Amino acid sequence: MTKNVTRFFGGFTEWQARWLNRMADDGWRMIRTGKLTYVFERCAPGQYRYAVEFIADKSQRNAEKYKAFLEDCGYKVWYKNANLNYSIGKVHWRPWAEAGGQISTNRTTFNKELLIVEKENDGKPFELHTTPPDKIAFLKKWRNVWLSYTAFFAFMGAAFLFQTPIASAVFGIIALLSLIPVILYQVRIEKIRTSEHLQE
Amino acid sequence: MRDNVRGGALTEVTFFVLLSLYEPRHGYAIMQFIEEKTNGRLVLGAGSLYGAIESLCKKGWIALYDDSDVRRREYIVTALGRQIAEQELRRLRELTQIAGEITGG
Repeated sequence: MTKNVTRFFGGFTEWQARWLNRMADDGWRMIRTGKLTYVFERCAPGQYRYAVEFIADKSQRNAEKYKAFLEDCGYKVWYKNANLNYSIGKVHWRPWAEAGGQISTNRTTFNKELLIVEKENDGKPFELHTTPPDKIAFLKKWRNVWLSYTAFFAFMGAAFLFQTPIASAVFGIIALLSLIPVILYQVRIEKIRTSEHLQE
Repeated sequence: MRDNVRGGALTEVTFFVLLSLYEPRHGYAIMQFIEEKTNGRLVLGAGSLYGAIESLCKKGWIALYDDSDVRRREYIVTALGRQIAEQELRRLRELTQIAGEITGG
């Protein structure tokens, strides 16, 4: 028995993982995923755990290498899109990505921004990032993505300031909105840094 | 990983990864080794382990042992990695000796 569910979480990886784990708790195991769809089959409640990983900063080679590493660890892994773009020949610049991953195309890493990772539930929490430096590095990736949006829209706001003040205001508001996640990620980074120091 | 090479102080993760690779192991076996040896105190997530392996490979402290099977890559500690691990062991022995002398433990 299978079940098709339509959902889109974009880049909200924690929401997506939480939802997949709730589905697994209800006895549904993900077997396939499309851009907007998830296909589940029946399993024992709580038999599987899910984590969602952000890999858009990696080059195609490193993304494949990382996926193979996770599979080697015994996990089942699917690529997942964080964008909803159906165009052909898409080229996307990711200034926050590593060398080799900054230019993303349909043939390489575009629409493969995330990995959904599944493991059989062994009663232990399923975390891919466990050490404080690694957790910080992971959060910094997300912070930098949002920071690049903030910088882009702030630049656009400034560029339109004297020609089209309304457009400039819209860009300014978007820049301010995209600054919120930057601050939220930075707060989480600082909390980890502080807790690291408290242990000394 | 913020290992202090000059002072010889390694992070616990680095030290355990080096120790786990005194015999060839793949990713999952490294995670199991660390969890078992520390009785579950140190549990390494696959993402964190991947970062550690990448970093140690770049430093030349570990290397691919056998890459014939792409799905199950095994790693092994290099001569340099052994040297670093043994240096850390000496540092820890010295530390525990001093601590023992002071606390009488």
